Amino acid sequence: MTDTHINSYAEAISAIAAAEGNTAAVENELFSFVRALQSSDELRATLSDPKLPLARRLQVVEDLLDGKASGTTASIVSLLVSNGRVGELEVIVDAALARSAESRGEAVAEVRSAVALTEDQLTRLAAALKAKTHRDVAVRNIVDPSVVGGIVTQIGDTLFDGSVRTRLTQLRDAF
Amino acid sequence: MLALLAAEEGNGYWLPHDINEVIWGTLAFAIVFGLLIWKAGPAIKTALAARPARIKEELDTAAAARSTAEKSFADVKAALADSDKEAARILEEARETASKVGADIVARAHTDAAAIKERGQVEIQSARRQAQADLTAEVSRLALGAAEKVIESNLSEATQQALVESYISQVGAAN
Repeated sequence: MTDTHINSYAEAISAIAAAEGNTAAVENELFSFVRALQSSDELRATLSDPKLPLARRLQVVEDLLDGKASGTTASIVSLLVSNGRVGELEVIVDAALARSAESRGEAVAEVRSAVALTEDQLTRLAAALKAKTHRDVAVRNIVDPSVVGGIVTQIGDTLFDGSVRTRLTQLRDAF
Repeated sequence: MLALLAAEEGNGYWLPHDINEVIWGTLAFAIVFGLLIWKAGPAIKTALAARPARIKEELDTAAAARSTAEKSFADVKAALADSDKEAARILEEARETASKVGADIVARAHTDAAAIKERGQVEIQSARRQAQADLTAEVSRLALGAAEKVIESNLSEATQQALVESYISQVGAAN
């Protein structure tokens, strides 16, 4: 898939979310769905299995997002699954989120933590990151047990690593 | 005289009865003798005169040959004596060379043995240090592995929140 196609999908997703008036929610839901897809090989295999009827795959999406995501988010995911873009879903969603954040003058911060952060913690972390980077920051929280404890934040190519996993690795390397 | 005697009386016991035979025989003998003296005399005289010279020459030649032989004998004897000396010298040199080579071999063997011993000690020390390092690393790995398991299983919610708060504070404070 070319960058042009990715950008086209990303632009379409941003436009749909903006048109529906719930951009932030759609972005968060898409972000969460992508992370769920990343952590489940079975889900990824099911949604990209060409032998499985499309209706069945769309049903899986609907069952998965029913009550947990807006209709807009479900429609976008269904569109990508229908078009056979499950393999590129992560890239497309990340591009869409980056595009939206950029349009708002924000940087996207991918925040990995062992436990889910509260809204208050996300707000304060966004403020701290803004103060550090001198840019508005859109925080996307990913619950990642491999972090063990603490937080790892990535903004573009910059990494702020405060995870217990990294400290344990450093301790192991010291020996 | 004989002819006169023969003419006066019978020829007797010593002369044949026919005196003419005696005369002619004597005359023939004288002629033959004279011819012999005339023709063969110089050759005989020359031969007799040359014989001592030849004998002397042969004696001289024999003496020279003897002298040459004696000289050759002396040379051979001297050569034999020299060869004995040369053999003795070569033998002595061979003994000295063998002694020197033997000493060199022993010295080199000592040097090699010392080098091997030193190398062996170095290798032993190196192996010992490596084993100690491996053991330390293995103990550290096991200890860290156990510590990681303890940490991972004992990070309470409160601790997780404390780590998150600490991270947010550190990011905010590091401006």
